[in-house]
Order: sequence, then structure tokens, then C-alpha cells
Amino acid sequence: MSDHLPIFVFVSPFLAAICMPLIGLNNPGRCRPVALTALGTMFLLSVATLWRILGHGEIRYAFSGWAPPAGIEWVADEIAAIMVVVLSALAFLCLLHTGRETDTELGSRTVPYHAILLTLVSGLTGIVFAGDLFNIFVFLEIAALSGYALVGVSGGRALVSAFRYLIMGSLGASFYLLGVSYFYMATGTLNMADLAQRIPDLLHSKAVIGGLSFMFIGLGIKMALMPLHGWLPDAYTEAPDSVSPLLASLVTKIATLAWIRILYRVLAAGSSDTSLEIIGLLWVVGSLAAVAGSLLALTQQDLKRRFAYGGLAHIGLVLVGVGQGNQTGLAGGLFYLINDAVMQCLLFILVGVIARRYGARTLDDLGRIQLPPPWIITGFVVAAISMIGLPPTGGFFGKWYIVLSAIEKENYVAVAAVLVTTLLTMAYFMQVLERMLRGGQTGPSAQKIETPLQLRLSTGVLSAAIIGLGLWSDRVVQVLLQATSQLGL
Amino acid sequence: MFELVQGWLQRPNFIAFVILFLWGLYITVTHHNLLKKLIGLYLVQTSVIFFLVTTGAKDGATVPILIPGETVVQPETYVNPLPHVLTLTAIVVQVATLGVSLALVAGIYKKYGSLDEDEVLKRLE
Repeated sequence: MSDHLPIFVFVSPFLAAICMPLIGLNNPGRCRPVALTALGTMFLLSVATLWRILGHGEIRYAFSGWAPPAGIEWVADEIAAIMVVVLSALAFLCLLHTGRETDTELGSRTVPYHAILLTLVSGLTGIVFAGDLFNIFVFLEIAALSGYALVGVSGGRALVSAFRYLIMGSLGASFYLLGVSYFYMATGTLNMADLAQRIPDLLHSKAVIGGLSFMFIGLGIKMALMPLHGWLPDAYTEAPDSVSPLLASLVTKIATLAWIRILYRVLAAGSSDTSLEIIGLLWVVGSLAAVAGSLLALTQQDLKRRFAYGGLAHIGLVLVGVGQGNQTGLAGGLFYLINDAVMQCLLFILVGVIARRYGARTLDDLGRIQLPPPWIITGFVVAAISMIGLPPTGGFFGKWYIVLSAIEKENYVAVAAVLVTTLLTMAYFMQVLERMLRGGQTGPSAQKIETPLQLRLSTGVLSAAIIGLGLWSDRVVQVLLQATSQLGL
Repeated sequence: MFELVQGWLQRPNFIAFVILFLWGLYITVTHHNLLKKLIGLYLVQTSVIFFLVTTGAKDGATVPILIPGETVVQPETYVNPLPHVLTLTAIVVQVATLGVSLALVAGIYKKYGSLDEDEVLKRLE
């Protein structure tokens, strides 16, 4: 029974998504509790999966009993299980924090909104578990299509951003599919484990190199790697406030995870007998993205846009870690990926709340408002500390391992890039914090801003998670190191 | 050089794919009309699907259904069915993308009264 856990993790949001139009037919108000229940169930199931995997090793789930490589296979290893726990928890909190406001805000779109949100979550789950290159493509597109619809759900300007996101995203998917077909032509298989056995002999074949490049471009668009990030700032800025935390924390991160899996599971990059140039490329691209992303963030006035550019820099940092090609770097990169998902979620929730309650969307607006309530301030400071990378938060330890791996490799350019990014991050957060904390003196007073219980719960849990990930970083990194040690590093 | 060109000419499907793909990419990037952008995108997606299908083709091979009376399966007599199956899924994805994108374009047209990108961006200001 417990071998079937991964599929149940996927089915619980997916089934709810399909049934959503029926559930909300007469009473759209019912959608929210059902969606929350589905995501809560998913969270519990994913915790059970993680428990099972930590105890008994990875689960390989062959659909309908057809053994791979003929059948489709899902691989639930430690990394995937941890990611799904994070994913389901963040999705739950993102939906929870808005309270019933989304329902009134969206009006007649309540039912599709909840259905598409759950489809997005199930698509992302599929990418995490997929053990097959084509399966990744299908789930990438399920997640991406839900993403386009969610960005455009509030209409108006958001439609234009969603359209741009769609054009870029679909081009990315086409490039990825092209890469997959190259791989298929070269090897005759699409199963990752099967490919991993055949690829090493073919690493110098032009088809494999070409396919790899196309896949990298495709997934690079999906993960908004620096020169391919055009869609991201607009999409995050124009998306409804309840959607942007979910997009910012999950969509690009999961695409990055897919790329990491392809690199290490299929190509066995970084192991001694295969010298892969693409690994060397990865940290260069990552460093550029990290520095350029935080520089651009410094110039932005709009808060959401500023943090969206900041998010680009964090994807870069993950790639710096992963690109070192050693175990510390890979574990550190993955740990930073998890942390970044939690931090972005908290940050975008708070930015959304400030925008909704105070109407403050830009830096200058922030200077005019009164001092926000302690819940918001505390959450914001915790997120800022973690983003900058100060102990005892998770962000610090993530950066720590990334720097450590770069030093191990004697790659001082990468170390410098991480440090410069840290300083720039500090600069753009200080601008925001300074205005936010000084605002109280000039703003119109006596306007009581209430923080509903759901909001306190979400921000409280997320802040605690950021600090908890820092305090227990040893344990998490140990698990990740153990998981990555099987990859032949 | 001669061998290279000869190699290309032996694979007309690859040439067709490259032309369609680049054509679609060019249309998507350069045209200002949102619908034309979509047509370009559709061309890109279709070209990849076309490429995938043609890789399964073989000279003189038949559909992958077992010939009656035949006991030993000879793979060289059949077209490779897997690319077709993958293509089927890819087409479904493509149709869904088209549906979402047309809905978005319709929404933009209703709101801003234009399909021209520059015009829409001007009205956004």
C-alpha cells in the first residue's frame, strides 16, 4: 500500500481540480474549503511519503504495472519527497492567507480559479516525480498552462502579461520537446534510468549535445534564467496578489529542479569519467544571473517587480551551487532551492497584503503609509534576513554551502559573485525596510489595519519555517547529501 | 562539404523541419499582430511534432499491427509507433495551449479594442 503513496499525493489535488466545477455549480463558496482540504490531504500524504522514503528508500512506481522502460515510471527519491512536502505546504498556505477575500475579488471566476490552482499544484507534483523525459514535458505544460490562466485571471493588464508569458513559455516547451526528440533519436528511450545507462557512450554525439542544448534553452525559459527571463517580472507584477506568491515560490524552482534531475540523473554530470562542459557553463550563467538580477532589483520602484528581479538572482545562486559539480554544491544548491521557495512565498504574501490593505505598490508609497502591524513587520524582517543571508535563517546556510563548495573547487569567481549578490540584496532590502519602518511618523494615523487569523497563521508558519530550516539545516543537508551521494559525485 | 550537403539532401524531412521552425520563430518574434504571433507559435510547435513523427518513419514499413499468421515479430517491417504516441500527447498539449491563448487574445481584444501589440501597449499606459 505504501508503495502507492506518490500517486495518491498527485491524485488528491488533481481529483479535486476535476470535480471543482461540479462542487461550485450551485454554491461557489464551497470551492475554497474543498480546495483547502485537498491541499491539506496532499500535505499529509506527502509527509507520509517522505517518512516512508527516509525509512525504506526510494519508491519506483510503474504505472498500471508496466515495467519501465516500456511503461511510464515515477521516481520518488528523497529530493522529490522533500520538494513535494514544501510544495504542498506552500500551496496550502498561499490559498489560506487570503481568506474569503479572493472569492469576492474574483466574483464569477471563483470556481475556475480554484480548479486551475489545484491543476497547477498537481502539474508541479508531476514534474517532481516524473522519471521520464516526456512525462516532464507533459507536466511542465500542465503547470505552465495553469500558470498562464492564473496570471490572467483578474483580466485587464494581466491579460497582456499572461499572453507574453504564454508565448515565451510555449516556445520554451517547444525547445524542450525538440531536445527530448533528439535524445530519443540518439538512444531510443526516454526513461531517465534507462537513458543514464546509454548516454555515457554517446556524450560526444552531436545529437545528444544538440538535444541537451535545446533542453537547456527550453528549461532556461521556464526557470527564467537571466537572459531568458523576459516574461517573469510582468507576469509576477500583474498576477493577482493571491497568485503571485505561488508563482514566485514554486513554478521557476520546480523547473530548476527538473533541470538538476536531468543533469545528474541522466547525464551523471560531475562524476569523474564524464567531463561535461555544460557544468562549467552553469555556474557562469548562474553568477551572471545572480549579480545582474540583484542589480536590476535595485533599480525597480514597484515592490513586486523589485522582488521578482530578486528572485531571478536566487535562481542564479542555486545554479552556482549546482554548477560546481561536487556533492556539497549540489546539496547546497538544492537546500537553497527549498529555502528560496519558502522565502519567496512569505515575501510575496506580505507584499500582496501591503498592496491590498494600504494600496502601497511602490517604494514611494511605502514611505507614506503608517507602520504596518507587528505580524507583517516581523514576517518581512525574517524574510529579508533570510534573503540577505544572515544566520540563523535557512538562507544563510544555503549560501554557506554554496560558497563552501565553490571554495572546495577553488572557484573564487563564483565566491565573489555570491558575495556581491549578498551585498546587493542587502542594499535593495535596506531601501525597502528603511521606508517601511520610518513610514509611521508621517502617515495618516488611527486607520486600524486588522490582520485576520489566516494571515497570521500563514506568515507565522512561514517565518517559523525559515528559521527552522536554518536551525535544523544540518539534518536537511545530511539527507540531501545522502541522496546526492548515490549520484556518483 | 559535399558529403555534408549530400547528408542533408538524404533527409528532406529535417530540411522541412528547420524551415518551418525558423519561419514560425521569425513570425512570432517580428509580427506585431497578436493573432499572427500565435500562428507563428503554432507553426513552431507543429514543426517539432512533424520532426518527431518523421523520425519514426521507415522505407517500406507498415503500420505497427501484428500481421496475421506471423509468429516472430520483425521490427524492421513496422514503423516505430512510439513517436506517434508521443506526438498524440504533444498535439493535445498544443491544442490546449491554443485554446488558452485564443481566450487571452479574445480578452485583450474585448478590453483594449485592438489586436496590434503596439496599440495595446499604448492603451495600457
